Amino acid sequence: MEYVNPEGLRLDGRRFNEMRQIVAEIGVVSKADGSAVFEMGNTKVIAAVYGPREIQNKSQKKNDHALVLCEYSMAHFSTGDRRRQKNDRRSTELSLVIRQTMEACISTELMPHSQIDIFLQVLQADGGTRSACINAATLALADAGIPMRDLAVSCSAGYLNSTPLLDLNYLEDSAGGADVTVGILPKLDKVTLLQMDAKLPMETFETVFALASEGCKAIAERIREVLLENTKQLEYRRGSA
Amino acid sequence: MDTKVSVSPKSLIDQIVVPGDVVLDLSNMTNQTIKLGSGLRQDGDAISAVRAGKLSYSKPNTYWVESSHKRYIPRLEDHVLGIVVDYKAENFWVDIKGAQLALLPGLAFEGVTRRNMPKFEVGTLLYARVVKTNTGMNPELSCTDASGKAALFGPLRDGFMFETSTGLSRMLNSQTCPVLEALGKKLCFEIAIGINGRVWVNATAPRSVIIVANAIMNSESLSGTQQRIMVEKLLAKISD
Amino acid sequence: MEGRLANMWRLTVNESKFVETALQSELRVDGRGLYDYRKLTIKFGKEYGSSEVQLGQTHVMGFVTAQLVQPYKDRPNEGSLSIFTEFSPMADPSFEPGRPGESAVELGRIIDRGLRESRAVDTESLCVLAGKMVWSVRIDLHILDNGGNLVDAANIAALAALMTFRRPDCTVGGENSQDVIIHSPEEREPLPLIIHHIPIAFTFGFFNKGNIVVMDPTYVEEAVMCGRMTVTVNANGDICAIQKPGEEGVNQSVILHCLRLASSRAAATTKIIREEVEAYNREKNLQKVKRHPTMAKSEVSGPMVVVKEGHKKSTADQEKAAERSREDVERLNLSSVELKGRKKQEAAASPANFKGGPSSWDPYTEAMDVDSLKASLASKGASPVTKSPIKKKMDGSENTQKDGESSMEDLTEDLGKDGELTLKDAVKPKKKRKTKAVKKV
Repeated sequence: MEYVNPEGLRLDGRRFNEMRQIVAEIGVVSKADGSAVFEMGNTKVIAAVYGPREIQNKSQKKNDHALVLCEYSMAHFSTGDRRRQKNDRRSTELSLVIRQTMEACISTELMPHSQIDIFLQVLQADGGTRSACINAATLALADAGIPMRDLAVSCSAGYLNSTPLLDLNYLEDSAGGADVTVGILPKLDKVTLLQMDAKLPMETFETVFALASEGCKAIAERIREVLLENTKQLEYRRGSA
Repeated sequence: MDTKVSVSPKSLIDQIVVPGDVVLDLSNMTNQTIKLGSGLRQDGDAISAVRAGKLSYSKPNTYWVESSHKRYIPRLEDHVLGIVVDYKAENFWVDIKGAQLALLPGLAFEGVTRRNMPKFEVGTLLYARVVKTNTGMNPELSCTDASGKAALFGPLRDGFMFETSTGLSRMLNSQTCPVLEALGKKLCFEIAIGINGRVWVNATAPRSVIIVANAIMNSESLSGTQQRIMVEKLLAKISD
Repeated sequence: MEGRLANMWRLTVNESKFVETALQSELRVDGRGLYDYRKLTIKFGKEYGSSEVQLGQTHVMGFVTAQLVQPYKDRPNEGSLSIFTEFSPMADPSFEPGRPGESAVELGRIIDRGLRESRAVDTESLCVLAGKMVWSVRIDLHILDNGGNLVDAANIAALAALMTFRRPDCTVGGENSQDVIIHSPEEREPLPLIIHHIPIAFTFGFFNKGNIVVMDPTYVEEAVMCGRMTVTVNANGDICAIQKPGEEGVNQSVILHCLRLASSRAAATTKIIREEVEAYNREKNLQKVKRHPTMAKSEVSGPMVVVKEGHKKSTADQEKAAERSREDVERLNLSSVELKGRKKQEAAASPANFKGGPSSWDPYTEAMDVDSLKASLASKGASPVTKSPIKKKMDGSENTQKDGESSMEDLTEDLGKDGELTLKDAVKPKKKRKTKAVKKV
């Protein structure tokens, strides 16, 4: 199948280095301490953060840092065919991966004896759910006012028809080509998350990896704007602006 | 009757016994007092082994089974290396590889009063002495000797700790330990041996610590001369 | 809660500090260099598709099994490959019985990604009847001892098991040519899986905020390190999978450095696995060759067992045999004395028994590869000459116990009379024998 036409356009009309439209909103769950909705094209994820709060399972208590818990789930209606049960291996792995990525950016050592819960729900899945989840979680954590070293952002890239492609959608993702998901801390310029599937020669991987990192930086910009906008509104409501 | 005598202690001494072996028959040993050490149990007239190992005898009348384990059974006056696991009120909970955690009162240090009790974070390594081993209670440790002096007991800073077997610990603790002797000729290091199968080594150079630690771990199943050869080889390799 | 505390393995402050400081001067607690790998040993079981991998103290067992199932609807003409991991509580007190935990799931997924999504195993060749019947290959990975770096060890165990796995041959037949007939291994040779490339996982540990990288972290290092990355590469320089699940961030350059390190290592590890698998296959082939004389002369089934055992010990390569022979020297001397004594006795007592001796001895139970078999077939019966004297001795000594009379001299003598038939029977590939039979007719 042709994923990139001779004019260099992809199935949904994007160029190889073009991302889908990003829509983000903060404070969507009233009960949660922090929450956000993050949309990337047709992929839509909602994140809710509770904490830092008292530890629920005492045996997990950590004396020197906060405990971060994460639960990722995919709504049954999020994909075209209704299939996945709740606790499959993919979700377990993703929960782990997202938790450890968020742990890297939260200053957990400032909040010992406490726990932070991150709940992620995929409402619509159209490729790149794990990236969207990380971005949503970052926004929700920022909304909850949890101290963070940096904003963790993530983006994916792939390689199809011998072209590196940024931000794969579901069709491109399931084409069987390589899929690289990168999570970075943009200000510190460090890579925390890196996952790759399928086979790629070394040199190709480097270009795809670089493309995904560029995508991350663009997303970081966008997330900054969203947070800035949100803060401005808060100021406005308080009447100081 | 003669055949029975042939299973007398003398023939079994320094032999390997396994659980269930009758090592002594008290019926033909009237008017004798004997002392039983670890690994032996009395059942009527028969003294049988409950652990596998070498039956040892020391004059005048003490018998025990010499064996090596990864777990430790607390015994009075043993010097052990413990890891602080938790602290509650005035006590530290210390892991000494035993069946239960050991209790170390915060006051069991030299010159400590309720006001200046030490604080250790979880994971601190302590060199301590077992002072109580009552059944049904957690064993109790102390960081002072019998006269209340610190006498080297207390927290161990820096260095490296590794786990061995109780047998190896005892071997290291003996007066003439070939590995330590051989190592000591060439290297300068500090060592603390817990009879519960933990060894702590410290030296100025991390390199020496690693050499000593690995030499000790390798000596587990070697004889005295083999140990010396192993250490020499190791040191020769390093000096290249 | 106290009970929970008592069951945990604990890391002391001293250890974690020391591991870090030692690493700063490029030293590791077990004396390795930063990028050194621990000793890798691969063993195989009796059955096809089972392997046992030991990496330092880490011990992992792999089993591969196959079953005919209905294919997935979206892939009607592809077989499936699935990976299951079992973290037994006996391997590590922190593993809990019951449902696989997070780490078990992650391990399975990393290996799954490396093997399946990089298409290392050809799944299309596992199709028997499109849309109806395909082979579903299942890899079970059992962790027996956790000495750190389970991923690498488990990946090698999975590969070794896959490479030695044979599935029964089957054909489509029957009235409407929709029935699947499975052939037993005696009927048709079981088939190996088609493996396109060998993806090998390498795990790196990051220390000191990602500035220090080590390869193949041990248990203690795993407890201390701040980040981890597993890179799956093959010997062709392709990257098959990467997993860096969050944790401490590292620079891009460090990641690329790790990738290069891994791909430079891949060839060496591939070679180790290949060699072990070949040695195993050779041994299996020899056992197959041996099967024929057993069938021909079933009356000597008793001593047969002994020979098998002995043969198994004298595995393929000569170096190994030479190594072992040194250990065996003492035993050998003893047994040869015993042999002489017994030989006299038995020869006197039962000459009939003596005659049956050679049939239990088969020149090709000796370690030899198939090529040399063919060569010796051409030069008929010259095979004993090709043997090294060491092996002769070994063979003798191992047969001693129950089959005392078959000392080497007798064997070579008897080869001309009685042994020749066995020899041919044993060696000839099926095809050749058939053609000859036809000619005779």
